[in-house]
Amino acid sequence: MNGAKIGAIVEKEIADARKNRMIILSMALIPTLLVAMVLGTTFVMLNVESVDEASLDEDELSMIPAELSGLNPSHALLILLNDQFMFYFLLIPMMLPVYIAAYSIIGEKETKSLEPLLATPVSTSELLVAKSLAATIPAVVLTWLSFIVLIIGGYLIMPEPVFLAMIRPVWIVSMVLLSPLLALLSVFSGVIISSRMNDPRAAQQVTGIFVVPIIALSLVVLAGKIFLSVWMVFLAATIALAVDCVVLYFAVKLFQRETILTRWT
Amino acid sequence: MIKAEGLTKRFDDNLAVDGLTLNVERGEVFAFLGPNGAGKTTTVRLLAALIAPTDGRAWVNGYQIGEDNINVRRSVGILTEAPGLYERLDAVQNLTLFAKLCEVDDVAGQVEKYLRLLGLWERRAEPVGGFSKGMKQKLAIARALLHEPPLLFLDEPTAALDPEAARTVRDFIGEIKEAGRTIFLCTHNLDEADRLADRIGVIKQKLIQVDSPANLRHSLYGRRVVIHLASVTEPVRTAVSSLPFVEEMQQMDNALVISLDNPEEQNPILVERIVAAGGAIQFVNELRHSLEDIYFALIEEEDRETQA
Repeated sequence: MNGAKIGAIVEKEIADARKNRMIILSMALIPTLLVAMVLGTTFVMLNVESVDEASLDEDELSMIPAELSGLNPSHALLILLNDQFMFYFLLIPMMLPVYIAAYSIIGEKETKSLEPLLATPVSTSELLVAKSLAATIPAVVLTWLSFIVLIIGGYLIMPEPVFLAMIRPVWIVSMVLLSPLLALLSVFSGVIISSRMNDPRAAQQVTGIFVVPIIALSLVVLAGKIFLSVWMVFLAATIALAVDCVVLYFAVKLFQRETILTRWT
Repeated sequence: MIKAEGLTKRFDDNLAVDGLTLNVERGEVFAFLGPNGAGKTTTVRLLAALIAPTDGRAWVNGYQIGEDNINVRRSVGILTEAPGLYERLDAVQNLTLFAKLCEVDDVAGQVEKYLRLLGLWERRAEPVGGFSKGMKQKLAIARALLHEPPLLFLDEPTAALDPEAARTVRDFIGEIKEAGRTIFLCTHNLDEADRLADRIGVIKQKLIQVDSPANLRHSLYGRRVVIHLASVTEPVRTAVSSLPFVEEMQQMDNALVISLDNPEEQNPILVERIVAAGGAIQFVNELRHSLEDIYFALIEEEDRETQA
């Protein structure tokens, strides 16, 4: 592996993506909307009439997990809702890289620029690593940046228990550990799907299936059926790592010079 | 420089290249001709170590393909059929990437050298998406030359270019040739091949013929001179046909087309006899068959053999 060559390709990919208005808009929109949604919802909920235990019926009380039982019910409900939103934050590293990955491969198919690239003394593994990094790094950085913005906003407007719940280890570990793994899953899937499709939007839609398990888990949490713990995040990270390895195996199998030249173009 | 022995490439049931055996010498311009789907691009991809042969062996610049692919790719430059540039990036960004991937020592220096050489320096900061086809092709040629490879593969370098751009590109190929680089040129433009190539190879899955354009003309059509006269009289016809070295003579209006095996020595005798027989000679020139005639003759012969 030659770091200089990988760096040159990453640099080119990022320069190219920065000049693609579609990618810039797509990548900026999702994190901005999500941060605005979390902070906006919190602001609105804190400014409506306060909820106490007496105003909640039995079903609503049963939604509050035992871990939050000592808290003001308004705060407990807000924590549950924010937990739901935090799951959406984990979708950011899954949704963003596929915009770059799909365009970086399908775009090269369209402009027929893959062949000159493959004719250089760069190995296919260097090329795959560079393409993956070029898609993963901006997505993870944007996820982390938007999380930092959320923390700053939350510090300013959230009551202390709600703010502390948002920066509890579960979410810090999720952001640090799980989000890069999910980003890689999205990128490797993007490579596989891009090899079979000629439309970046179609590739993005198909990659969307990976969002389903995370949405499902978020609904279970919202229903108060489980309260996330750090070991659950580690378990999820282990599963994500295993799935990453399987998907990477197929991506490497497909990402061969001859296959790319004779079947992709 | 290039040595191929029985190089074969099969894609599933499709035989793309069949037992290609070929030698291309250092400093030579070798034109590779053939119809669409004849295996020209596949051959270039094989020789540039982009795809693996199904059978056979080949060495490029001393490196065996399949064994030392990275060095093969280090030692060749390739101009693909489509320029394949990054259209949102500018000319400098496009070339810089490739200079780095090809391990060029002085990246900025080489990029500037080739942008200036090809007249693109003033437009270096513009996105190449706004370039004309000719400018894109020149940039793609610059990209292939950045690492100063001794061997250059050019796949249809003037296809889809207007005559002016095609001429600029052709002139530049001529300059590369003068600089002593080996060029492997795939083209449909037979006139271009005739002007640039030292030798020509005609392929249709398998290599049909390899030789210099002049030798191909001689082997297929022999050598013929055309003598234009004020009028062709019987004494002139008799004087010509009685010469022992005249293999064949045809009359076309006031011209005689005569087959000779050594026109350089036989023409003076021929002219002397015609004048002595009262013929008034206006012009003498050699009948030169176009490369197109040669190409079609070879392809048709191959088709007949395949059908037989």
